[in-house]
Amino acid sequence: MSKKPGKSLERVLWGAASVLMVTYALIPVAWMVSLSLKRSADLGDNRFFPRVVSFEHYEAVFRDPQFSAALRNSIGIGAISSIAAVLLGMFAAYAIARLEFPGRRLILGAALSIAMFPPVSIIGPLFNMWRTLGLYDTWPGLILPYMTFTLPLAIWTLSAFFREIPWELEKAARADGATPLQAFVHVIAPLAAPGVFTAAILVFIFAWNDFLFAISLTSTNDARTVPAAIAFFTGSSRFEQPTGSIAAASVVVTVPIIVVVLAFQRRIVSGLTAGAVKG
Amino acid sequence: MAEIELNGVTKRFPGVTALKKASFTIQDGELFILVGPSGCGKSTLLNMIVGLEDVTEGEIRVDGEVVNDLDPKDRNMAMVFQSYAIYPHMTVRENMAFPLKLAKVSKSEIDQRVTHAAKILELEDMLDRKPRALSGGQRQRVAMGRAIVRKPKVFLLDEPLSNLDAKLRVQMRTEILRLQRRLETTMVYVTHDQTEAMTLGHRIAVLRKGEVLQIGTPRELYERPKNLFVAGFIGSPAMNFLPARLESARLELPIGAVELSEDQRERFGGAEGRLIAGFRPEHLHAGANDEQHLSFEAQAEVVEWLGADVLVYFDVALRGFEEVELPEDLGLEGGNGDNRSLIARVDPSAGLREGDSFELGLDARYVHVFDAETGENLTTPHD
Repeated sequence: MSKKPGKSLERVLWGAASVLMVTYALIPVAWMVSLSLKRSADLGDNRFFPRVVSFEHYEAVFRDPQFSAALRNSIGIGAISSIAAVLLGMFAAYAIARLEFPGRRLILGAALSIAMFPPVSIIGPLFNMWRTLGLYDTWPGLILPYMTFTLPLAIWTLSAFFREIPWELEKAARADGATPLQAFVHVIAPLAAPGVFTAAILVFIFAWNDFLFAISLTSTNDARTVPAAIAFFTGSSRFEQPTGSIAAASVVVTVPIIVVVLAFQRRIVSGLTAGAVKG
Repeated sequence: MAEIELNGVTKRFPGVTALKKASFTIQDGELFILVGPSGCGKSTLLNMIVGLEDVTEGEIRVDGEVVNDLDPKDRNMAMVFQSYAIYPHMTVRENMAFPLKLAKVSKSEIDQRVTHAAKILELEDMLDRKPRALSGGQRQRVAMGRAIVRKPKVFLLDEPLSNLDAKLRVQMRTEILRLQRRLETTMVYVTHDQTEAMTLGHRIAVLRKGEVLQIGTPRELYERPKNLFVAGFIGSPAMNFLPARLESARLELPIGAVELSEDQRERFGGAEGRLIAGFRPEHLHAGANDEQHLSFEAQAEVVEWLGADVLVYFDVALRGFEEVELPEDLGLEGGNGDNRSLIARVDPSAGLREGDSFELGLDARYVHVFDAETGENLTTPHD
């Protein structure tokens, strides 16, 4: 209990507001989890909690070769896109944060305008181009647009981070006998790590969640990612809705994102640069 | 162990010359100070010596070898930065071991050297802490530790104490001095604080606007400043300045006239322009005087009792003399209308109090005369 009554009232109100927000945000997710755990027969029972918890939909989802292929595609394409986008973004952001060159602002502005470009407007041409180039229904065919659309995000996040790094540390490392590369690897990179993780996670989430490119630029299990694959789910008979399987698959694809965010959250938030300079 | 020789070293940045033709030699084992107001090019010079900045013109030699194009890592010089620049993601031990790891020193050797340095700097209990858990003084010591473990040819220190509070600064100053005497390694120390410069240095270079004005021992700079800027910059409280003019064989000041010796007359003979006379506060004496003294009456405005001596602030009427113009970057004011504020450092036994009128004597042997236009010192005072 806090000493002042005003303080405790404030805390109660804050608490109530937080609970409201979290409930509002999580109800659809909870509903999805609930659906995925119901038996097929109970799907339409209008109850929030399943009467009997059953994993039949999860079993069905993982039995489906289409789904495991899609999961593989999602993980692979997402990982490669994030690594490539962050790597390229790092070079660009490093230059933007560290070097004085004409057109610095122009690059940032151009990057931003690319991010604002509506993806749906390029889907048509991209579809034709990819078919001509043989990129249709391949991993690179999805990795390329994901990288393009997330690179601006990566550049902006990373250059903001790089600007915060005390660059005297780089000088110190050079004076300590490091080559420019060693100074980057041993001193700058560890300090930039939180920024790099943030950028990587954002890119990964974009690629993981994307439906538009995935549905338009794939046709088989070769490159189809989970969001697109879910759309192809069918019930076990043609009289059955695939609701349960869709819910189970959605839970399966949501879990990695939550795990990734929770795992790296501490790295992102931690004040890694505290104590670098001054006192 | 190294001797650093600068030969016409110049640094130009787009639109500005940071350093103009600096030529001097820093001797082996010397604690050499670069001092000057901000923007004088002292840090730039330091960065050029360590190799973080390119030399536009001229050459830097270390032990006779030109190092202009040598990468910092091949120069074996250790630098301590104003911000300390210790690596926040490494522990104290890792920070100090970093240069040794880069130099591929064996693990046992690293351990031994880090332990040794930690002992010297009293950091033994903090080796496994991260920098954020250290105080300012401790961080400063870690930065020093990282420099000494390498056994470098040269130490370069860029205003290492300016982020510390006054008490710690004095303490660290002594520690650095002791360390340098003990290791006998050449040390180049940059500061804007003349007290630090005077107390630490074997020799000092005074820089201003990219130019080296004078190089000498603290005593030389104090007693024989080559120009108005050095005279005003070195010494605390600063030198007193008054307008002056030459009348036949006498130097006239607002407070009276001084007889000039033949030799001085000869030296000032050519000086047509306006003159500025300068004398240090301790060369004013309260009370009785003899022949060599110029005596005058003053009224104490403020009296500061320091224990061993007393600082007396008083005004002198200019009596028709033109106001003196001192270089702005000296940060010395002292003009107030028709008066000029001066300071005397006198014996406490004179028992002066604020508002008292008293007689002051100036020892004429210690009066410097500067050309008001060029700032050049026209005198060389006797001992």
